[in-house]
Amino acid sequence: MSTVTEPVTTQLPPPRSETGLAGWLRANLFSTWYNSALTVVVGIVVGWALWYGLSWLFVDADFTVIGTLGGLLMIGQYNTEQACPGQNCFWRPQFALMLMSLLLGMSWSVAGGGLTKRIAIIVPVVVALFALLPYSLERMGWDVRLLLVANLPSLLVGYALARYTAVGTWRWVAVLSVLAFLLALVLLRGIPGVPGLQPVSTLHWGGLMLNLLLAVAGIVVSFPIGIALALGRRSQLVVLKTLCVVFIEVFRGVPLITLLFMSQVLVPLAFPENFPLNSLLRAAILITLFSAAYTAENIRGGLQALHPGQAEAARALGLPGWHTTLLISLPQAIRNVIPAIVGQFIALFKDTSLVYIIGMLDIVELSRKFATTYVENGMLPYLDDVHEVFIFLALVFWIFCYGMSYVSGRIERHLGVGER
Amino acid sequence: MAAILQNLTYQGIPIWRHAQIIQWTAQVLSGFLVVFLVAWFFFNIANAIDEREIPYGFSFLERAYQTPIGQHFLPYETSDTFLYAFVVAAVNTIVVSIVGVILATLLGIFIGVCRLSGNWLVAKVALVYVEFFRNVPLLIQLYFWFYIVLVLPPVREGYAIANRVYINNAGVSIPFPFPDGAAAAVCWIALAVAGMIAGIAVHRGLTQREVTTGQPSYPLIGGFATAIVAGGVAWLVISFVAGAPLVVSQPAPQGAFGRIAGGFTVSGGLMALLIGLIMYTSSFIAEIVRAGIQSVGRGQIEAARALGLSPMSTLRQVTFPQALRVIIPPLISQFLNITKNSSLAGAIGFSDLMNVAKTMTQTAPAINIIILVMVAYLAMSLTYSLIGNLYNRHIRIA
Repeated sequence: MSTVTEPVTTQLPPPRSETGLAGWLRANLFSTWYNSALTVVVGIVVGWALWYGLSWLFVDADFTVIGTLGGLLMIGQYNTEQACPGQNCFWRPQFALMLMSLLLGMSWSVAGGGLTKRIAIIVPVVVALFALLPYSLERMGWDVRLLLVANLPSLLVGYALARYTAVGTWRWVAVLSVLAFLLALVLLRGIPGVPGLQPVSTLHWGGLMLNLLLAVAGIVVSFPIGIALALGRRSQLVVLKTLCVVFIEVFRGVPLITLLFMSQVLVPLAFPENFPLNSLLRAAILITLFSAAYTAENIRGGLQALHPGQAEAARALGLPGWHTTLLISLPQAIRNVIPAIVGQFIALFKDTSLVYIIGMLDIVELSRKFATTYVENGMLPYLDDVHEVFIFLALVFWIFCYGMSYVSGRIERHLGVGER
Repeated sequence: MAAILQNLTYQGIPIWRHAQIIQWTAQVLSGFLVVFLVAWFFFNIANAIDEREIPYGFSFLERAYQTPIGQHFLPYETSDTFLYAFVVAAVNTIVVSIVGVILATLLGIFIGVCRLSGNWLVAKVALVYVEFFRNVPLLIQLYFWFYIVLVLPPVREGYAIANRVYINNAGVSIPFPFPDGAAAAVCWIALAVAGMIAGIAVHRGLTQREVTTGQPSYPLIGGFATAIVAGGVAWLVISFVAGAPLVVSQPAPQGAFGRIAGGFTVSGGLMALLIGLIMYTSSFIAEIVRAGIQSVGRGQIEAARALGLSPMSTLRQVTFPQALRVIIPPLISQFLNITKNSSLAGAIGFSDLMNVAKTMTQTAPAINIIILVMVAYLAMSLTYSLIGNLYNRHIRIA
């Protein structure tokens, strides 16, 4: 008896038809006759669509219309003569951007690397690259270009600040973010009597800036309100529970457009005349509450999916009620429903385009007005360019929304959702 | 009193740290606060109505609306009352939402299954579809269909297909069978319902037979065939015996301007709205369907294949019924979303509930109209979620 130490035959490599490109094609595209047929048909359709789309994009499309609209798409009428007479107000939104770069720099330092670092670097670099747009110097002066490039030093200052001083923690970044957002709002609104900061009516805020402001404010404020509503709906206290249920169901049962319209017609009546509650603020409040109702239901789902043993164990260890909720239940519940919550944030960002109903000129409404006014007046110079405008809009929103869902996927994987 | 107090100071816990007392105080306080806020809100509005002489009251509902409504599914004249115009608009919304729900669900299931296809190309195309349509606001998609794709030529340069179908900027006109008068309409609805009930009964019977005997009985085909045959026979009987025929109205150009009269015209706004809603919602439904199918244990599929079921049968009879339990609850909320999202119709000139209501506020008290609109949408939402929840209860594992 002898043990076989050598293989009887040398191992053959897998047949060529199973490896490499040919194997992959066979496994994924031509495994059966109907799969092959499907591949050919879909391939022809996709090829035709690509050919048509790309030839339009590179041959027929004329994106000069986007250039003509330019800053209008970004900030609306903010820097026009009516909004900001006799002055240049363009630096204010630009300064707000620089604040954002500063905070991104701090986040980069605190996170140290990974996705946060990549985002923190890419965003200011892209913003700075806008300084290279091929506009004439009359349309886009040196000051504008310099302030765009200034996002890069701003990023580095933020990085250094967090790296070498005591503010290099997430807690500080969060606090400073809120402060920076408020500062940006004050800056955009202006302060009466301060030279260079003359007030700009919120009626003139517009463009992508308006969408982003509404979305950021909505996301930040609706999240805690949503948590409170979810906890209220699950509480044993009858009165509190009823109130939360009614609030959530009413806001979820009615379209946002109807709520916005109500904010325009009904809400001003509830306040004294001349009460400083302008239409932008009303819209922001209603978008926030609307989103909070949906967030509450998502979080409630997460709380319901949680094993009761978690809360029982916490109580057995002697944690008081609020600590059980805040330290044990909520973190796990939120972790489990991150995709749903981010989905809600994406929906909120998309919903900011609905402010057209109350006459605010966000990026979508501005473009539509521009595109259709010419068509309706029979002048038709931009009729062909309507395509480009709407495709540009779709691209802008797609980048933001897909970016958010990508980041959410990464966070989910990082936290190991579904693995425990 | 003393007993209650003693009970409350149980084991020497002071009153201000007694959990029950704290909770009840908090409830009473928050209840009062909310009641106060709501009362303050309504009181101020009532005051404003008085002081600023803002029109208020539901008496306008009796008045004639005197404004045309673009596309409508119920007969409507400008001399009809506000109340009736409101109903016409609500029916517009309901029709759009029902058609949208059915088509979006079918398309969504198709795309969702494609996402899991073994064919790499098909799976990737479905992925691109989903990621594109769900990440672009519906409003932009509606504008895209309305201003770019559905830019139709003026009436005189419109297309005519076999002198039966006319396409121009008023919309697409097709021949359509209209019931001849209200009695006939009732008759047709009754017939349709009877046919459907017969179909469902046959479907049930055949399913029962298939389950108990194991003989293939094709319940789906049998059910549909019964419904169609029953409807057809009844149609013939009624047409020839009772004489309530279905008049097929043909579209045809009329007058000096060649406007299309007759038939059924689907306006550009309605088409854009439906296409936009269906594409947008189906991308969400596709993801729901995919998640549902993936939630079915791999062993189930392997067992089905081991028993010799074909891939199609596995999907239809093993995977899908189980996936349905995961799919239904989020699907209900998509149905609600489609109803609510149809309120964007105003942006592309289709007269849905919200759009008509907004126009009404120019000639009638805005406050009352907003109340009506909110009640109408809430009623629709609650009805849909009721139906959805009943169905959910029906299919879940007891």
